[in-house]
Amino acid sequence: MFTRTIFKVLMVVLLLPVVSCKKWLDLQPQDGLTGAEYWKTKEQVQAAVTGIYASLLGSATGSRNAAETFFLWGELRADMLTSTLATTNEQIDVINVNILPTNSIANWKGIYETINYCNTVIAFAPGVLAKDATFTQTALDRAVAEAKAIRALMYFYLVRTFDQVPLKLTATSSDKDIISLAKSSQDTVLAQVLKDLNEAEVYAVTDYGDRASNKGRITKAAINAIQADVYLWQEKYTECVAACNKIINSNSFGLISGNDANLWYQTLYVNGNSNESIFELQFDNQALNTFYTLFNTNQKKFLANPIVMDEVYTVDFTDPLKYDIRADGAAVRATDQLIWKYMGLSNTTSRAQVESYAHWIMYRYADVLLMKAEAQNQLGNGQEALDIVSLIRTRARALIATQQNLAATDKVGIADYVLKERAREFAFEGKRWFDILRNARRNNYQRLDLLLDMIAGTVPPNRQQSAIAKFKDKNCHYLPIYTYELTTNKALVQNPFYK
Amino acid sequence: MKVLITKISFLLFVVLLAGMARAQVTTITLQGKILGPNKNPVEHVTIAEVDADGRTVHAVKTDVEGNFVIKISSTKNKLSISHISFRTQVLAINNRTTYNVTMESNSKDMGDVVVVSQRKSDNGNVSIPERELTTAQSHIAAKDLEEMQAASIDQALQGRLPGVDITANSGDPGAGMQIRIRGTSSINSSNDPLIVVDGMPYETAIPSDFNFGSADDQGYASLINIAPTDIKDITILKDAAATAVWGSRAANGVVVITTKRGAVGKPAFTYTNKTSITKQPEAIPMLTGDQYSTLIPEAYMNSTGTPLNTQNVKEFQYDPNDPYWYNNYSKNTNWIKAITQLGVTQDHNISMTGGGEKARYYASLGYLDQKGTTIGTYLKRISTRINLDYIVSERIRFKSDLSYSYTDNNRNFALNLRDLAYRKMPNMSIYEYDEYGNLSGNYFSPATNIQGQYLGVSTSGTVSGTSNPVALAKEAKYNIISQRVTPHFNLQYEILKKVLMATFDVQFDINNNKNNSFLPQTATGRPWTETSVNRAYDGDIDVFNVQSKTNLVYTPTFKSPNHSLISFISLSTYDNKYVSQEILTSNTASSVLQDPSSPSRTINSDARLVATTGQTRSVGLLFNAQYGYKDRYIFNAGVRGDGNSRFGPQNRYALFPSASVRWRLSDEKFMKRFQKNIDDLSLRASYGESGNAPRRDYSYINTYNTFTWTYLGQAGVYPASMQLSDLKWETIVGQNVGVNLSMFKRRFTADAEFYVNRTKNMFFPGLQIASINGFSNVDMNVGTMDNQGFELGLGVTPYKTKKWQVDFNFNIARNINIIREISDLYPLDKGDITANGQYKTFLQVNNPFGSFYGFKYKGVYKDLASTIATDASGKNIIGPTGQTIYMKFNYPSIGYTFQPGDAMYEDINHDGNINYQDIVYLGNSNPKFTGGFGTSVTYKGVWKFSTFFNYRYKVDLVNGTKIYTTNMYGFDNQSTATLRRWRQDGDVTDIPRALYRTGYNWLGSDRYVEDGSFLRFRTATVRYTMPKKMVQKLKVKNLSAYVTVENLFTWTNYTGQDPEASVRGSDPFRVAIDNSYTPPVKTYTIGVTASF
Repeated sequence: MFTRTIFKVLMVVLLLPVVSCKKWLDLQPQDGLTGAEYWKTKEQVQAAVTGIYASLLGSATGSRNAAETFFLWGELRADMLTSTLATTNEQIDVINVNILPTNSIANWKGIYETINYCNTVIAFAPGVLAKDATFTQTALDRAVAEAKAIRALMYFYLVRTFDQVPLKLTATSSDKDIISLAKSSQDTVLAQVLKDLNEAEVYAVTDYGDRASNKGRITKAAINAIQADVYLWQEKYTECVAACNKIINSNSFGLISGNDANLWYQTLYVNGNSNESIFELQFDNQALNTFYTLFNTNQKKFLANPIVMDEVYTVDFTDPLKYDIRADGAAVRATDQLIWKYMGLSNTTSRAQVESYAHWIMYRYADVLLMKAEAQNQLGNGQEALDIVSLIRTRARALIATQQNLAATDKVGIADYVLKERAREFAFEGKRWFDILRNARRNNYQRLDLLLDMIAGTVPPNRQQSAIAKFKDKNCHYLPIYTYELTTNKALVQNPFYK
Repeated sequence: MKVLITKISFLLFVVLLAGMARAQVTTITLQGKILGPNKNPVEHVTIAEVDADGRTVHAVKTDVEGNFVIKISSTKNKLSISHISFRTQVLAINNRTTYNVTMESNSKDMGDVVVVSQRKSDNGNVSIPERELTTAQSHIAAKDLEEMQAASIDQALQGRLPGVDITANSGDPGAGMQIRIRGTSSINSSNDPLIVVDGMPYETAIPSDFNFGSADDQGYASLINIAPTDIKDITILKDAAATAVWGSRAANGVVVITTKRGAVGKPAFTYTNKTSITKQPEAIPMLTGDQYSTLIPEAYMNSTGTPLNTQNVKEFQYDPNDPYWYNNYSKNTNWIKAITQLGVTQDHNISMTGGGEKARYYASLGYLDQKGTTIGTYLKRISTRINLDYIVSERIRFKSDLSYSYTDNNRNFALNLRDLAYRKMPNMSIYEYDEYGNLSGNYFSPATNIQGQYLGVSTSGTVSGTSNPVALAKEAKYNIISQRVTPHFNLQYEILKKVLMATFDVQFDINNNKNNSFLPQTATGRPWTETSVNRAYDGDIDVFNVQSKTNLVYTPTFKSPNHSLISFISLSTYDNKYVSQEILTSNTASSVLQDPSSPSRTINSDARLVATTGQTRSVGLLFNAQYGYKDRYIFNAGVRGDGNSRFGPQNRYALFPSASVRWRLSDEKFMKRFQKNIDDLSLRASYGESGNAPRRDYSYINTYNTFTWTYLGQAGVYPASMQLSDLKWETIVGQNVGVNLSMFKRRFTADAEFYVNRTKNMFFPGLQIASINGFSNVDMNVGTMDNQGFELGLGVTPYKTKKWQVDFNFNIARNINIIREISDLYPLDKGDITANGQYKTFLQVNNPFGSFYGFKYKGVYKDLASTIATDASGKNIIGPTGQTIYMKFNYPSIGYTFQPGDAMYEDINHDGNINYQDIVYLGNSNPKFTGGFGTSVTYKGVWKFSTFFNYRYKVDLVNGTKIYTTNMYGFDNQSTATLRRWRQDGDVTDIPRALYRTGYNWLGSDRYVEDGSFLRFRTATVRYTMPKKMVQKLKVKNLSAYVTVENLFTWTNYTGQDPEASVRGSDPFRVAIDNSYTPPVKTYTIGVTASF
């Protein structure tokens, strides 16, 4: 009997853990938010939307941040930069039109991460409505509008850089969501971009109640600015003018006075969130931008091309008081060709590394005006275009040497003049390459010469011929699909020039 | 629960009643006298009343006269008379009351009795006689390895066992070993075998999400905590049927280690000492400062067409009028020599073992002090172990084992220190001269020079960019202090004598690691504003691990001796918890303040304050039975259920069956006529499944994280990982066929195994996925892989007389990896053939992997004429306008025209363009055969001479060292082979011209592919054991001394440093690249063992 009792106790001891092991094996991390606990309150929706913006300042996974990506994509292949000894081989390859699919500058990872954050908000925020009674339909619509607008902006950058890209509009939250996706044509992507923007425009906020949010987050005006840019790219000039007019007629924006060059620089670039600004990325002392290492350390990667001072702005050697306020002390520091726009605390004093948080301006009022000028010129309203350029030049105290007197009917001349003025106005703001490409490809590459002339000036003499030959192929104007993407996404095909 | 409490109370009640019942029995008094063999009375003899189970009821001791009186409770009990020096006697009581007993000496036991018992093999759960094993196992007694100077046992096992591949991650003290049993079963998941010490799993992995700051997990040697001298034997379970009993963590094989235990006898002390000297052999000859400073300007000139301006680049100016630059940059420094020292190792171990009838003990204390061959590396270890056995009765016994170890391991801050030293400019001075040309006594670490600057330290502990290697070795530190306490308790209870036994095991494992590193400013030379200056790091990991195991073993005895059955149920639980924290600060006030607790900068981009915590749990329930019929047919079958917390609820549990069989041919009737010669001939076959769990905790859960920065003052949240609803057990299905042959009274033994291990639902942590998904990697089950091969082990005693014995053993193995099925997301090729130094690899389903492709190297274009492109018939190719066409590289996307002095690659398709169409098969990096052999010669049992060799046959290695020491591509120092470089038109040589950062002179080609077959004279030992007669005179039990030499010589055609390059990781695209700069160290050891 004794033995039997012990045996019974033994069996119980043996079986007890088996019964309770279902619970025993269910371990949850103690230091993180799990998906099961998320998407329950309006605060969580808000935090996820903020996360989209935060992902533009830096990457949680170590990808290149959006601001630096836009700078590289927008300037590297254009004519305003020059390399230094510390410029990486990959950067030099892009400058020299020697781009291989292994070049990590063609890596779009960070952009698609942001797109996934947008997709996640668009997919899961509506579900919160049922769980949190204090979450209103209006608040939901605003959140989704912000996500859609950012997603549209990201795709707009992608198609301008790669021509055709996969269009991923669903959130990845589980391993069942992983897909291989083929490229969509530029038209399909842009149609989706406009669809998103038009939907977002309906619900977007006009005023968040504080200036920083009005400039740092998506507003109606920001959406209109992106629309104008997309229409201009698509050569839909009437729609472009209409979108620009929405911003102009809102009377909420204006040009910062250029009477005091230093004050103008500080208001627009150092302090940021000026009256001229429409949408800018809000770097701060917690999230420094990466420009300090690009432009200002011993290991700086880029300097301003000498032509920026010599040809773009020019210098009036007869009267030192006459100068373009956008030139020395704003875009560049003329003494050592330093790219100054993000490095200065004033016209003369430099930022320290810990102060390297100049905002990255995506759109500002001057941009809207010049986009309108470009569109009006194409619509045959050359005089209006010239008036706008004149307005911008007066504000900037542009030098006579860069002034052109053109007839209102000189469509080609005015287009070039606007392009040149954009170079002066938006130097190093990540717009130059897209501006040149947009003008070159207009009317079925009527102005390919713009690109060929540009490349002849930037590439070292021994590579000139091959670079020009390459640029004659319009497929070369887009970056290759990064090798990584080709190996991981079997549905992708390399872009034509790089096969 | 209520039922349980009731039952326990009831049980206690019964026990109490029984005790009371016993108390009522009337007592009887016995008395007597105990005499020794020489008829003298013996004092302190234990007289005990023992019951039927052998449990002591009451005991007394004899006095000075040898007399005793004992009151006993039952006449049915027995009287046990025991003394440590004499043989124990058990006498019946019945009606006898007087006992005058003469004791017999114990020493008879120790006479020359030939023991005919058979070896038993222990799989950690039950021990099964080796004759009856149905599974593939290898066994080695630690005695065979004792002469080697190895800090941990894995080091000594290298090459000893077929199919067990052990490679060192580095030669530095405390570096971990990589153990692979039958190849790698998983791509990129954990491939380490389970270590079982005395029946309980022993944790060797460290939390995978702990960032080591300057070490990787492979560099972590957990086995270092077990002193090799404490180990009695090691069994390696190889096939899946054998490992199945250990379940989910045993998918990569099991190493079962048994430690020494006490035995009945007088206390015996054993002292062992090993002293050795290790020497770094001469490595690759590198350029001197003078040769280097002619190479660099030439490379620069060749590449840019303009001379190097030494006005700006003063490193090559050599102007005595500028004393600062002249003195600091005109030396011929041998950086390697400057960081190398002679290694010395001292290993002392003292152990005591003994015990009586009831209690036995083994206690040991060891001290190891190892100084590495690189300055700044050492390992100090104190290890203790106490193994206690207490036998309560014949039915109940318990064991309590306690081990504690303390290791203090210093390694180089930069794991690539030697590499840095090889690359360092040789014309630089180690110590800095001031501007007057006087030696300042400081390390010469310029903030930047032409070689660049300090670029930081990677997560794997390698330093990139420049820094002063001598300062790094001497001033920077990386110290790991670990303390580990492992108490293990075991209780055995025989419920039914010899039929049903229950065992309970519980083991706690408290493992604390403290990592402390410091990078002084003097090593990097960076300005004080930067965070790389005086970086102090401190990281703690505390692991607490509780495991339990409850076994119920049923071994019925059958009436007919033809049947035998061993069966058991085992329930095991595992709970592992860890807490870690890390602090990294910078800019402490001085290089003396090396701890982050000293005032330092904490807010900067580098600083880190991280704490993590994690927990894993698993349970396993196993049924296993082995049935034998007539000792001829043996069947074993089992099934194991596993549950693991690392899976989501839908995939958490899995069942893994196993079955194996052995047929002893030699006992069959038709084999009778061979019986004289054949001791044993058996065939074995087995099938088994076992599962593998992912490496990381909670990885299946979809998590959200907060960005470390805010946007407009608000915290932003992002999805950090996706939910892994498809993640399931990786299952390894093993099939094994084996033959055991033993002949001529075991003078010839052979074991052969053939196996196929199929890994299904293979894990791939961090499988790269298209970043359009918003994530770039995911843990996934990606496909099916096979590991197949064979192993053969032979043991021969060709000559055996009373005086001489010659033994010879040999093992050989072959393993190939084949992918059978792979996820669509898995990439099928890797390597960019247009980039220097890369090879192309393809993954082809159903083909063994490890093959790599590249160009064929044909030497150097000697002049312009030789760069003219020719077609297949050797005629010059003419362009459309009649112009001469020169050889081009990868036209049109690169379109580089080859110049005289450039590397010449074979234009396979004769189109004048070297591109991907010109790549060919170059080799395969899986060895055809691996193994080892050894002999030992014993003379009169006094002298023993033994040797051991290991080898690898037919393996293609990429000589990575050759690539980087002859590419002349940057400012890194080069080997003296570059003195043969092409310098002017007409030079015919095999080394292309120097080209600074341009050109395609070191593309992946057969120039660097070599046959890595080798035969290595691993060890040679001469041992002298003092004969018994002499020993007795010295009043010691045993005395022996030996001399061992390791890594004496390597026969190979390989021109690199070490053909035994380990292929790190298990990526199917891996190419065996040997990046080692130094061959393995030579070790000379003198050892003494004495027992008292």
